[in-house]
Amino acid sequence: MSALSLHGIRKDYGEARAVDDITLDFPDGQLTALLGPSGCGKTTLLRMIAGLEVPTAGTVTVGGRDITRVPAHKRKFGMVFQSFALFPHLTVRDNVAYALTIAGTARGEAAARADTLLDLVQLTGFGDRRIGQLSGGQKQRVAIARALAQEPEVFLLDEPMSALDAKLREEMQVELRLLQQRLGITTIVVTHDQREAMTMADRIIVMSKGRVEQAGTPQEIYHWPATGFVAGFIGRANFMDGVAQDGRIMVGGVALSLPRPAQFLTGSAVQLVCRPEGIRLGAGLAEVNSIEGRVTFVRDLGPVRDIYLETRLGRLVAEQSADQSRVLAVGDRVHLSLPPDALRLYPGLPVTLPATALAAE
Amino acid sequence: MTVAAQIGPMAEVPPALRWGAVVNLLLWAIALLLCLVPFGLVLLISFGHKVEGAGWDWAFSSENYLRFFVGANWPAETTSLYLGQLYWSMRYAVVAAVLAVVTALPFTYLMTRQSRRAQARWLVFLLATLSLSEVFIVMGWDIILSNNSGLPMLFAASGVTDWLKDTGWFDVLRDWGLANPRNVKFKTSEFATVLTLSYLVWPYAVILLYPALSRLDPSLAEAARTMGARPWTVARTVILPAVRLPLMGTTLLLFVFLLGAYVAITVFADPSQHTTAVSIYENVRGSTLNAPFGAAQSVVLLVAAGAFLVLGQRLSRKSQGGA
Repeated sequence: MSALSLHGIRKDYGEARAVDDITLDFPDGQLTALLGPSGCGKTTLLRMIAGLEVPTAGTVTVGGRDITRVPAHKRKFGMVFQSFALFPHLTVRDNVAYALTIAGTARGEAAARADTLLDLVQLTGFGDRRIGQLSGGQKQRVAIARALAQEPEVFLLDEPMSALDAKLREEMQVELRLLQQRLGITTIVVTHDQREAMTMADRIIVMSKGRVEQAGTPQEIYHWPATGFVAGFIGRANFMDGVAQDGRIMVGGVALSLPRPAQFLTGSAVQLVCRPEGIRLGAGLAEVNSIEGRVTFVRDLGPVRDIYLETRLGRLVAEQSADQSRVLAVGDRVHLSLPPDALRLYPGLPVTLPATALAAE
Repeated sequence: MTVAAQIGPMAEVPPALRWGAVVNLLLWAIALLLCLVPFGLVLLISFGHKVEGAGWDWAFSSENYLRFFVGANWPAETTSLYLGQLYWSMRYAVVAAVLAVVTALPFTYLMTRQSRRAQARWLVFLLATLSLSEVFIVMGWDIILSNNSGLPMLFAASGVTDWLKDTGWFDVLRDWGLANPRNVKFKTSEFATVLTLSYLVWPYAVILLYPALSRLDPSLAEAARTMGARPWTVARTVILPAVRLPLMGTTLLLFVFLLGAYVAITVFADPSQHTTAVSIYENVRGSTLNAPFGAAQSVVLLVAAGAFLVLGQRLSRKSQGGA
């Protein structure tokens, strides 16, 4: 049975529609990431799940029970806020014990439970400290411990890593994931960072403009993006605008083949997407989808190199393993191939993110 | 080469800096003069003595202070008339300041949760109300609470007075001094005095609380809600502790401001409940004309206010340390 379900959820702020007709199931015990760019409605959706916003339409259910109109304080959902929202007038222990204290738990019992939770988030001995004495990472751990104190049915995290530096963020992503797996609690994380989502989530829901673009496992989302937007938002991708012609795709005068004939009418505008690691470089490549290109820039990233190429298909970026025998340099001419299996085809709708997608890590 | 040798002979101070120091000194001198001279004069005069029919004369006598604390006929007789007035000064100021802050707090909190435009409108409106003088405000409330033309008349005409009599509430109001045998009455009463004083300082309370409440992170209250806190629990355990210092500061500031209230007291308070401020005016410019005694009262009022401020500060420090 699904722990949490959303059905037809909509949220309007005056004329503006923040969330539009979202229906989702959050499987019990899994970590789901709501991923999307700023303003896509992911935080609004999380706030509606938490009970901090009331949907304009639709229902929120937990185990079949409708909680759409149940106020936040009656939902028993733990939430970690972007700013952590720790109470500065309380000690670390009192912060963690807050939910228990206001519920009437005996002071000693609440303090003991708080200490257990602080042990869980590796903050043993920090109970008597003031919030102002903690680092960003420690604050985040306190926020997590505090949200877990009431043993929530659903654990919600709104951009929990955004206030941390890059190194700490990666460490905390792994730690949070291990903690979630240990506790087996249904968890929803809002993030705009695709690496964060890929690291932590069992399931990723990609959102754009208030709608769900795709829901699936990280591998499904990365290798089989449902839309050009998802292809651009998750990982890096080369976008090529073309026209369908007799089951093949014409791009810049080159006819590209696909594993199966394209299901588009001849003359339809389409968009082809290929990941940089999908492009093959060097001599002796298969004839299919093979062209020549000129190296315009080489970006050495250590284990791999990004080769920027000028081709008849347009500007492409190919990823080359650093252990390749031939080291390409700017100005070199090189044969490249786009294997049909590495190509993804979408209707020729304008894609908003091609430039940033190439630049994104 | 030593550092001193590198610097060379003592550098000349540029004329602009010299002039800057002189102007700075001058400004300090003017500020001290404006602050200390009036207070010094009041202090000096408080030790003088009244000359019947001829104003007052310089002296160094504690008779005015003795009169304040134990009465003019001490040791033959001890009276606490002026201590009583000081008590009413403190009582009105404390109650009205607390009432203003307690009512302004939820209003200001809700105001800060509105849109920026709505907040700006409210702030402009509240700042505009500050242009109203105490006299104007008291006149307005005098009309509203007047026995012949204000709320009592409306109560009588609309049947509320009869309803109060039927339900027994009229007797309760009489016990509270808010009714005469025929109708409800607000003048003179402590209720009307405190109400008007609170009204007088209410916009100040909002404006003083606004910065702290507008900076309050809304996610603090939301976090408490997600942990099972009801709205009142959120207010008690999160919002109030977060704005404890601004609350204390605002209350103390309004308290000091209200110690000097004059018009509202003379119009709404019973003469037996008049304050030190009214008595000071009577002595300095009114019927009694005893400037040295008025000055002594002023000094006592100032010292009492200072003591209250120190007490308030200590309390807030203690609560901060104990939190």
